[in-house]
Amino acid sequence: MTVLASPPDALTVNAPKPTRSLARRRLGRTLIFVAMAIMAVIMLYPFAVMILISFKTNAQYLIGSSGTSTQTWQQINATLPIWQELWNSTVVCSLSILLILVIGVMAGFSFAKLQFRGGNVVFLAIVSAMMVPLQAILIPEFVNIAKTGLTNNYLGAVVVYAALGTPFSIFLFTTYFRRIPDELIEAGIVDGLGYWGVLWRLAMPMALPAIATVTVLQFIQIWDDLLVGLLFLQNPGERTITVGLAALAAGHTTSIPLLMAGSLVSAAPAMIVYLVFQRFLVRGLTMGIDR
Amino acid sequence: MSLTASLSASTSARRTPRASLLSKRRRRVGVMLILPALALVGLLIAYPIGQAVYYSFTNWDGLTTQWVGPSAWVQAFHNPTMWTALKNNGELLLSVPFALGIPLLVAVMLHQRVAGWKIFRSIYFLPTAISWVVIGLVAEHFFAYSGTMNSLLSDIGFSGIHTNMLGQENQALIALGVTFVFSMIGTNTMLFLTGLATLDPSLEEAARIDGAGAWRIFRHITLPHLSRFIQLAFVMTVISAFSALFSLIFVMTGGGPGYSTTTMEFLVYQTGFNQSMFGTAALYGIILFVITALVGIIQLRLIGAKDS
Repeated sequence: MTVLASPPDALTVNAPKPTRSLARRRLGRTLIFVAMAIMAVIMLYPFAVMILISFKTNAQYLIGSSGTSTQTWQQINATLPIWQELWNSTVVCSLSILLILVIGVMAGFSFAKLQFRGGNVVFLAIVSAMMVPLQAILIPEFVNIAKTGLTNNYLGAVVVYAALGTPFSIFLFTTYFRRIPDELIEAGIVDGLGYWGVLWRLAMPMALPAIATVTVLQFIQIWDDLLVGLLFLQNPGERTITVGLAALAAGHTTSIPLLMAGSLVSAAPAMIVYLVFQRFLVRGLTMGIDR
Repeated sequence: MSLTASLSASTSARRTPRASLLSKRRRRVGVMLILPALALVGLLIAYPIGQAVYYSFTNWDGLTTQWVGPSAWVQAFHNPTMWTALKNNGELLLSVPFALGIPLLVAVMLHQRVAGWKIFRSIYFLPTAISWVVIGLVAEHFFAYSGTMNSLLSDIGFSGIHTNMLGQENQALIALGVTFVFSMIGTNTMLFLTGLATLDPSLEEAARIDGAGAWRIFRHITLPHLSRFIQLAFVMTVISAFSALFSLIFVMTGGGPGYSTTTMEFLVYQTGFNQSMFGTAALYGIILFVITALVGIIQLRLIGAKDS
């Protein structure tokens, strides 16, 4: 194996050399394993903290007692209405994602398959909207939406999330639909499906992986978001769980065990979605560099 | 992954006679299908950019507007708070090498596929799923006076440096930066690992047979192969440092103590919603936009230069 590195050795003794490098290799892999295990402890730290502290009372936490209690969990709903807020998060996420998917599929199909004059320019304009940070438009956006009254219900946040998520979804669907052969579309038209029928019955089923990618990415993004929810859901009864948690934390009077229990509740759905649909997330993230 | 993505819309040149007969209807349907997208992005992203530019020249509290003109910008640039925020943003950029280097190391280790690497991979990515609000709350506990960091420090004999990092003007930003690095590890590791998966293993094998050490293989084969992924991660991390820290700042420090952890994005929020100075806040938003756009354009230039 190391013939080039040490020719004299290789000529005289053949046996000991590979064994030594094998031992070195094994040592290397053991070291990597240890380093990775340490890294795992660091990455699991937040979860350990949330679980351990949430099973203490505030008094136990403050004096650093090692005792445990389920009191925090029993009383959580009085301070942080978790069921209501989980429901709010679900509604806001579902409506936003539905808009992002429907609008994205339609526009993506159009850009990819129904070339019309100026289509490329419009496509580039919409896709470049991905680069606009929310804070750049936050102030006028808030005033505009507040004037329409939408900040008093779910729709205020929903339309903002939809606008922020749509450019990426259009980008993804356009690249996806481009792979469908034109002949297939034309065959569908000739068979009398019409463009509408071709889109929903022929093209959309082929885009299911892209739909899954957009759904998972947007779910995690919207579920975890604070800024939009904080400003565009003015009615406390409609707050998402992430906003509710942050608002509670900003009070600074709340007990830490309670905040940790709330954190765990808010994190659980996104973690489950993440673990189940990991591969769609990776795909979405690396879109655009896989050329 | 076989998805190909390029920004330019490719027009298919081949047209059958039938298609051209249908082309009028096809164009009409094409325009109709993009109208919802155009309306949404136009009204909620493009239009507010124009408004933000206009209102940056005014005194605006959300209800009444008073034209000020260019002196609004002159005033903003004389405001020391804005420079503090920009300085904080600049200092936060010092965390970017760590936010790239640690994931690079982690990805290379994962790529060795030692026992249990798949489980490790899932564990490393798990924090990616949770909100930065949650990470911020846990970080607050980690850095607190009676928190994990101080007890770890005293465990290894450094009880002398017992400190409340988030309460110190000169330390809070460091704590924020460390939390930011932690929050970026999952995403960037995922990116690098995807890049490594596209690396032809026979290249490394050949180099190893030729007697190249682990460092030389990494330096001359792995790293050049990953350059595009590193560029993407760099841009995403820098843009995140400018525009994604709101949740962390909101729960960890609220921008304080003083203005020591107020970044431009947080200044937009504070100026608008705590001080009701919407015009000035819009102005700060524009500055933030220009900075992130510059980062993006430089990146596109770099890629373009490499491709041609």
